[in-house]
Order: sequence, then structure tokens, then C-alpha cells
Amino acid sequence: MTKPLISVKDLTVRFRTEEGLVTAVENVSLDIAPGEVLGLVGESGSGKSVTAKALMRLNAGNTRYADESRITLNLDDQGVEVLALKRDRDMRIVRGGAISMIFQEPMASFAPAITIGDQMVEQLLIHSSMTRVEAKELSIEMLARVGIPEPARRFNQYSFEFSGGMRQRAMIAMALSTRPKLLIADEPTTALDVTIQAQVIALMKDLVAEFGMAILFITHDLGVIAQTADRVAVMYLGRIIETGPVRQVIRDPHHPYTRGLLNALPKLEDLDSELTPVPGDIPSPLDRPSGCVFNTRCPVMFGEPCLAEIPQLMQDETGRMAACHLVARNRGAKT
Amino acid sequence: MAVITLLTVSLIVFTLMEMVPGTCAERYLAFKNTQGSQISIDDIKAEEKRLGLDRPFFVRWGSWVGDVSLKGEFGDSCILRLNINQLLADKFWISLGICLAALILSYLIAIPVGIFSASSNSPATNNSLRFVSYLGLALPNFLLALIIMLASTVIFGDSLTGLFSKEFRDAAWSWARFRDFLSRAWLPIFILGWSATAFALQTVRALMLDEIGKLYVTAASARGVTGAKLLWRYPARHALGPVINSLGFDLNRIFNELPIVALILTLTEAGALLIESLARSNDQQLAGAIIFLLTASIVALNFVTDILLALLDPRVRRGLMG
Ligand SMILES: Nc1ncnc2c1ncn2[C@@H]1O[C@H](COP(=O)(O)OP(=O)(O)OP(=O)(O)O)[C@@H](O)[C@H]1O
Ligand SMILES: [Mg+2]
Repeated sequence: MTKPLISVKDLTVRFRTEEGLVTAVENVSLDIAPGEVLGLVGESGSGKSVTAKALMRLNAGNTRYADESRITLNLDDQGVEVLALKRDRDMRIVRGGAISMIFQEPMASFAPAITIGDQMVEQLLIHSSMTRVEAKELSIEMLARVGIPEPARRFNQYSFEFSGGMRQRAMIAMALSTRPKLLIADEPTTALDVTIQAQVIALMKDLVAEFGMAILFITHDLGVIAQTADRVAVMYLGRIIETGPVRQVIRDPHHPYTRGLLNALPKLEDLDSELTPVPGDIPSPLDRPSGCVFNTRCPVMFGEPCLAEIPQLMQDETGRMAACHLVARNRGAKT
Repeated sequence: MAVITLLTVSLIVFTLMEMVPGTCAERYLAFKNTQGSQISIDDIKAEEKRLGLDRPFFVRWGSWVGDVSLKGEFGDSCILRLNINQLLADKFWISLGICLAALILSYLIAIPVGIFSASSNSPATNNSLRFVSYLGLALPNFLLALIIMLASTVIFGDSLTGLFSKEFRDAAWSWARFRDFLSRAWLPIFILGWSATAFALQTVRALMLDEIGKLYVTAASARGVTGAKLLWRYPARHALGPVINSLGFDLNRIFNELPIVALILTLTEAGALLIESLARSNDQQLAGAIIFLLTASIVALNFVTDILLALLDPRVRRGLMG
């Protein structure tokens, strides 16, 4: 097997807050292969953004990474231990160099008083040895590539002069202009209306094929994941509870939480069937359940082990993984 | 725009002047009365006619505005019977200058300090800054003025009051007089600037913290922007707009504090003159003139800040140019 592009091992992220140390991400391990699209799903507050920001060291000043956590970026010429980077300067390799990020709010992610073009050129000057003129040419080319009409004029405009969909296109153009190996897309289409959403997703699929980069695609919309990702990881309360190839996970979810998420989606073939959202509320991160984190809402909870023991991610024959005591027991019964 | 604002202001000021009970004529003659002269209704009538007070309201407003704006002529004071322009002479401009200097001083300090304190996350810096600005807010200006006066009297044997030394008080403006003025004006500037700085520091810091928390700053650092560039080009640059917006408001507050400080330091400038004319003698013409000048300066300052804003903020700029 080829080396993964980025490999996250036992990532645990805590935040120092006034209420004490809050665990937002716990023992998360995941690999992304070069060119692979990994979908990361989960309800609000499950730690998707915190995980993604850890890859670029973008979490706020009150963040504590556990000592045993490792994030390794494997580039052609070097390996980078992301969590060991000390100076801001050294972090540039994961900030816009080998990794770029696009955010949920395209309006808020551009500085309002600096032109789109200036922000694009600035980034190119940081990450390459281009001259200003070359950087401008490339930026205009990228704007054209993502389907922005009159790119040379748009280059000199401000984000408030763009429409929502256009802003997200410009964001994508900016993120890809440095030719990153990994693009993190944190709910890139949530703020857009459905038709624009479809266009942006189609554009991203095109660009993946063209640029050959990997994508970490974050969303809480399993429908979007089904269209875009190769593999999916489902997060709940800071832990990954199931991973596997998208189609298989959607067709046959193993973990009761994944099943709950899928039941909450409307089904086109049976529009009359009732939607059943996952019952209950996500517990506060200050008050994490002991044992399985899902035990407060789990419909198939069966007592002792669920309350006392944290279930580990177990791989089955097909390479799928789920962290559930019931799954482990049934599998044990089969063999 | 500024012109319309000024016209409205002049109408309000003029209406307020009119609403003071009694007319200028009555008041002057009543004042004479207390000095022993005998006054009859006819005298009042004659006086009103002489002052043009028998004309309708809008005509009088028109002629007042006309005199003020075209000739810069505020007419005579009701009671003192002196020309207001002579009475004010350059007192108004001196007070305005002192207030502006205090304003500029406070922002010269507050902008860099506020920006750095918002970007630093060392608790020691933050706490000491908080302490200093609370001190600035809590220690009233008049107390500070008294303390400094007391100290300077004890140490230098000079009370530092007044804005000019004796020999320059009525002299014409010259370089020497200006230097003398500066050697004394620093005190009211410092005292007024003291609490203004504390206020401005809080404003700048809050606005900066606001900007630093915004997504575009995270997005910029996700693109590899670091260090001074990440501070000045992004949050600091964008916090400047709202900071400039608060200037007009601050000048107004400083001007409000001027009379107390002026009273203590016995500066015979416009602020104190205003209080005197309002409190002691009901001199509506004089009070109106001062209020109008004050509002006009604030309108002018707002005009300047609008231009600055348009230069700084492309949204405003594009809005203006269509
Ligand atoms: N700087 C911080 N200090 C304290 N808590 C934080 C901080 N950043 C994030 N958190 C907490 O970490 C948890 C996970 O947040 P995260 O943003 O990763 O959720 P998410 O899965 O991305 O949700 P959403 O779908 O709403 O974006 C939340 O409870 C959040 O409040
Ligand atoms: Mg998020």
C-alpha cells in the first residue's frame, strides 16, 4: 500500500476554558491517501472543524494537543510532523502550502477591505518564488478556471461585490492556486442555495480530477457525502465511530448512530415514510458519558460494556470499521 | 450633506435661543432696571424694533443664519452688549485646538497600545493595561487637575493656571506668544487627554478583539500569512474604520469635560464662557453662538471622518461613487 498523504494518530484535542479542560476530539485516527476524497460527517459540535483545523494548526490559543497525538504529512521530499511545528513561519507548509482550506462562510472568509486579487497574490507570493506579475496572471487564470466571468475585472473587486456562489468559487480558486496536496473543505456548500450548491460540488469534482489532490470534505449532509466522497468517517462527540467506503456505509451502516443519521434523511423512493431523527440531544462536551460516548442516545444499548468500556474501532474483513460493542459481539458470535 | 446638517442644527439652536423666556430686549432692559434706570413698556418696544425682534421667526432665523454663515457675524451679546465675535475672539479656536489636541493625543496612544494589547495574550500585559485604563476612567478630570495644580504650586511655585503668562495675555499672536501658550496648554491637553485615552483604549481594544475573532483572520492565517502582516493588514486595518467613526463622539465628550477643567485651571476660554452665559446671565445670543460653533466643529469633524472612512473602506467608497 502506498503511504498515506496525511496520517492522524490518536489525535486528542482539549480546550482550556473557564469551566475547565474541555475535550473536543478524542483518540481520532485517520489516513487520507493521495488523491482520495474523505468525507467527515457528524452533528454540530462533534469536533469535525477542530480535527480539520488541527491539520493546519489553526485552533485557537487555548488549544492543548495530547502528547501522544501525531499528525504526519508525507510529501515527496519530506515528512512533516505537524504538531511538532513551533514557529508560524514553519507552519506555512501546512497553511496554504501543502494544505489549503475553504470555509463555510465565503463572505466572512475574505477580508472585506482588501481586493480578492490582492489576497490571492499575497498567498502566491508567500508560497512560491513568483513575481507579482506572474502571481496576478495565475490568479486571473484560476478565477477563469472556476468559472468566474470577466476574471480580470473581478480580480480588482472586493468580496462584497461578488454573489455567494461566486465568492465560494473565488475561495476555491484561491485555495487551489498554490496547488496543495490536500484541500480541506469545511462545509463549503452549507451557506449556498441548492442549485449553486450542486454547481460548486460539480466544480470541486472536476478540479479533484484535474489537480489530483486529496480532499477532506466536512459536512453534516450525508447526501452531499454520497455524491462526492470515496470514503466516509462518522464522528460523534469527538470520536470516530465508523469509517468505510461511502457506498457500503450508506447501504449498510454498522454503527447505530450512522443508522440513525441515515434514517433522518428523506428517502426519494418512499417519501411518505416518517423521518426519524436520532432521538435525544448531543451531551455537553463538559459532561462526556463514560463508556461508549453514544450510550445516552443509543437505541440498542445493552448495558454493562456500553456504560463502562470505550468501544474500539474494529476492522471487519472488508476493511470497514465501527466502534460499537454490539457490532463486536455479533461479529464474535459469527466467527 | 454637511450643509443640510448645519442648517438643521442652526434651526434647532435658533429655536432653543428663542425658547428662553423673554426676549433679548426685555432681558437687557430688565438688567438695566436692576442698575437703577427706569424702564417703560415703550422702551422695550423701541428696543425690540431696533433689534429687529418684531419680525417673524423665520425671517429672523434667516438673517441670523445669513450673518453667521456669510459674514461669520454672531451679532451682539444680549446682556454684555458687546459684539460676540470680539468677545469670543480666538477663545473658541483655542478651546477647539485644546480639545482636538487632547483627542489626537489620546488616539496616538490608544491605537498602537490597543492593537498590541488585543493581539497579545499575555495575562500580565492585559491586566496592567486594564488597571491603567480603569485608573484613567475612575479618576475624575477635575481631581487630576487639582492634584497637578497642587503639586506644581508646591514644586515649581507656579500654579500653571491660565493659558498665557501675564505679559502675553493681551498681546497679538506671535511666535513667542505661541510658545508661551504651548508651555501652559499642555496641562489641560494632558488632563483632558488622560480620560479620553482611557476611553479610546477601551474602544480600540474592543474593536480589535472583535476583528481578531473574525473568520477572515483565520482564513488569512490558513493561507500562511504570519506575524506583523497578519496583525496590521488584517484585523488592525479593518478595526480602523469603526475607530474613526468614534472620533466625532469623543470630541463631543472632551468638549463637555472642558468647562470643568477650565474652571479649575482658570482658563478663560469658550467652554467656561458658555457656562457663564447660560448660568449667570441667560445670555441667549452668546450661548447660541457658542453652541452653534461647537456643533459646527463636530459636523466638520464628522465630514472629515466620512472622507477618511471612504478612503479606508471600499464598501463606503463604492457606495459613494455608485
Ligand atoms: N477555542 C475553543 N475553545 C473552547 N471550545 C472550543 C473551541 N473551539 C471549538 N470548541 C468546542 O469544540 C467542540 C467541537 O467543535 P467543532 O467546531 O469542531 O464542531 P463541528 O463538528 O465542526 O460542528 P459544526 O457542524 O457546528 O461546524 C464544540 O463543542 C466547540 O464548542
Ligand atoms: Mg464546523
